[in-house]
Amino acid sequence: MEIPDKLTASLEDYLKTIARITADKQAARAKDIAGRLNVNMSSVTGALRALADRGLVNYAPYEYVTLTEQGTEVAREVVRRHEGIRDFLVGVLALNEDVADKAACDMEHSISPDVLERIIRLADYIEICPRTGASWIKEFKEYCDNPAREDDCEQCLTVCLQDYRERKVHSDEDDATLDRLSPGTKAKVVLVSGDRATRRRMTEMGLTPGTLIEVERVAPLGDPMAVKVKGYHLSLRKSEARTVTVEHLK
Amino acid sequence: MLAFLKSDSPPGARRPGKQLRIAIAGNPNSGKTTVFNAITGSRQHVGNYPGVTVEKKTGFCRWGDHELEVVDLPGIYSLTPHSDEEVVARNVLFDEKPDAVIAVIDACSVERNLYLAIQLKELGVPLVLCFNMIDAARSRGYQFELDKLSRRLDAPVVATVGHKEFGISELLDATVNLATASDGRRSLQVNYGHEVEAAIGEVSATLQARDGQLTDVQRRWISLKLVERDEEIRRRIENPQVLEVADRNADRLARLYGEAPEIIIAEGRYNLISALYREAVRGPALERRTKTDRIDAVVTHRYLGIPLFLGLMYLIFQFTFTLGEPVMGWIEAGFGRLGLAVGSFWGVANSALKSLLVDGVIGGVGGVLVFLPNIALLFLAISLLESSGYMARAAFIMDRLMNKVGLHGKSFIPMLIGFGCSVPAIMATRTLDNRRDRLTTMFVIPLISCSARLPIYLLIIPAFFPQRWQAPMLWLVYLIGILLALASAKLLRKAVFKGETSAFLMELPPYKVPTMKAAVLQMWERARLFLKKAGTMILGMSILMWALSSFPRVQPDARSQQRDPSLAAAQQIEHSIAGRAGRLMGPVLAPMGFDWRIGTALIGAFVAKEVFVAQMGIVYSLGEADENSDTLRDKLRRDYTPLVAFCIMLFTLISSPCMATVAIMRRESNSWRWAMAQFWGLTGLAFVLTVLVYQVGSRLGLG
Repeated sequence: MEIPDKLTASLEDYLKTIARITADKQAARAKDIAGRLNVNMSSVTGALRALADRGLVNYAPYEYVTLTEQGTEVAREVVRRHEGIRDFLVGVLALNEDVADKAACDMEHSISPDVLERIIRLADYIEICPRTGASWIKEFKEYCDNPAREDDCEQCLTVCLQDYRERKVHSDEDDATLDRLSPGTKAKVVLVSGDRATRRRMTEMGLTPGTLIEVERVAPLGDPMAVKVKGYHLSLRKSEARTVTVEHLK
Repeated sequence: MLAFLKSDSPPGARRPGKQLRIAIAGNPNSGKTTVFNAITGSRQHVGNYPGVTVEKKTGFCRWGDHELEVVDLPGIYSLTPHSDEEVVARNVLFDEKPDAVIAVIDACSVERNLYLAIQLKELGVPLVLCFNMIDAARSRGYQFELDKLSRRLDAPVVATVGHKEFGISELLDATVNLATASDGRRSLQVNYGHEVEAAIGEVSATLQARDGQLTDVQRRWISLKLVERDEEIRRRIENPQVLEVADRNADRLARLYGEAPEIIIAEGRYNLISALYREAVRGPALERRTKTDRIDAVVTHRYLGIPLFLGLMYLIFQFTFTLGEPVMGWIEAGFGRLGLAVGSFWGVANSALKSLLVDGVIGGVGGVLVFLPNIALLFLAISLLESSGYMARAAFIMDRLMNKVGLHGKSFIPMLIGFGCSVPAIMATRTLDNRRDRLTTMFVIPLISCSARLPIYLLIIPAFFPQRWQAPMLWLVYLIGILLALASAKLLRKAVFKGETSAFLMELPPYKVPTMKAAVLQMWERARLFLKKAGTMILGMSILMWALSSFPRVQPDARSQQRDPSLAAAQQIEHSIAGRAGRLMGPVLAPMGFDWRIGTALIGAFVAKEVFVAQMGIVYSLGEADENSDTLRDKLRRDYTPLVAFCIMLFTLISSPCMATVAIMRRESNSWRWAMAQFWGLTGLAFVLTVLVYQVGSRLGLG
């Protein structure tokens, strides 16, 4: 794939918007794009021409706009950057969603891949490291709201150590299994255990190690559950889901 | 040894103009049957529930110079003989050696669908890939490079839309080309990695030393299956040395990977598939929330799901009965007029032929045909549920409950079909992989009140119960059946079929708008089966029953003494074989509150439930001179109490399944023992419960 010239911030926004509209509907109209970005039609037309020149969108005046293969690829990258930054702003800097979303829109265009990578890894690190974690971020938020308060650092560290030990015991005992995931969570299959016939069936239905899955829903009576795997919907009982070890993805 | 894999003729021997055999394989819900219909034009059952296509279906089609015989294989996910469907499919591929195989791939779910295609390709069958429902996939944002896929898989790939017949001629061209090509049987070698390949190599070498006639492809395939510890193939291998080498290698792999070889091999196939997928398929930038997701959010909602499900079931029953009512009236009137018209040809009152035609044939068949509208509508509703995709959701919603009584969510569908007829319902249990699950489900299906029993309820309920109690009464009867079925299932699982239920791995297919044409056709197919049954078996039985109640005839001189014709007829029926049998059963029937008339009709009901009504009609029209002065209902009301009426319904609900059910039970369970156990078990249960209800009821003064 040839690499397109670096896009301007606004063109990236256009691409992202088109990808979002096409995710909701079949194809985007210039009017929808103008509405979402809150700009006038002539700007949209200009931007679409620029994108079409770069081979990123299929566009002719008065027609529906769709992304080309290359455009899809670029849009996916823009969306990924946006989500990475937004998650960092919400999860680590404890900003509220709206503020984070807006800020992410501004930052995503200028951030370099290396910096983004580090930001994402920092967010992961904070989550894993016993000295930080979710409670640390909560503390940080409270500190932001009320900078004057005093902390008992020694006690805090003791709690950290306790948490760490508990967590260690816990993770040794049982990894996350599919049956424990709640609807909407995404995960990666690590291992399928259970009896041979069932294991084989699950493998054949596409639950192979490394496969990305998403828990979609649990049946009204609490069992079985429906999981999206390899583009289709699979239902399985919780007792079977228990044999699938997964890695929870954020 | 291994004759099953050897082709009768060398590749390429088939010349153009010859008859070609084509098999269609694919996952359930891949649109296999729509492709089959588009090719052959024959009308088939199109369902949406995984595994509806259990039967092997064949159709014919002319394409160019060739006469094609097309076999629609059951929908399967893999060639592992895990369920009956997979065994059937594999046997066709092995034993019938089709000239070409079309693998239908749902273009919306390419990865999982390719799994079967890869296995077919490994088997070395001449394979054409058919990317079906390509329009839906494209509108969801998928893009395909089918040329690339075709090159990588070394097989033609054609895009189709089955129900619009788009791409079908290209598919047929590709299939016929491949079938007549000399190099059609090209296999694909999946590389399973160094260790697995070494194992396959060793087994293959041993095989070659033993049987030099196998081609390289066949040898590799058998070796692979042996390393996978495929029981079917093991059984077909006679040489202990080959098995010994295979087992040693399989054990070594298991130790090496800490995992069963067949799972390593399955993963190997998926690794190849993901590589192919990444190369040739491009998904949308953002996964769109599909209509199916939106519908499921409501239909399987935590609070709305069950009320919606129950509501839908209720609607189906309302639909079945209110819409069927007027048509039933017409049919009833039609047969009445026909009976009068035929009867008017005879001047003499006591002609045996007249009696046979009017009372036996017209009365018997008419009494059954009158319920056809109800049955057709019920089948229509079930077809719509199946083809829309809701059936799988019903299994999803109901599994927890079914699992509680030891059944499988999939058992629910056959049981639902059981409301129509036990025969297709018992056949539908083939979707259950586990034999214990299957037998349990088959056993309890006759307790689900089938449509043949509906005529009995429809005759009795309006006769004995006031208008506002009629619907609840019908509900009650059905409910008793359901509860008994669940309780018996639980009992059977505890006592007879012990063991774990099998895995509940089921696809929830995307929702589709069912086409009315397909649904009506499917309804017709099923209603036709009912008609055939009514036309042959029930007609025959009606005549037999008429004969049983007409012979031996009362002596003429005895008759002449009796002036009242209705009493003469009553005397005749009492004198007949049926009347005598009814009386003979008296001591058994009495505790249930039944008289000889009911006994006679119950003899009919053993043959087919709906015959009960016909038999009651015959018994009464023969027993009364003036058959049109009063309806059957009035006569029943005069002779029986509501308690007895309820007991009739209870007994016919539970007691022995009809002859067709016994026959199908024998066939599907493959043993007379199960069929007989079911027959007597249910009859015994019916007797005990009916006696209980009647005795308690009459003590309480309900009689």
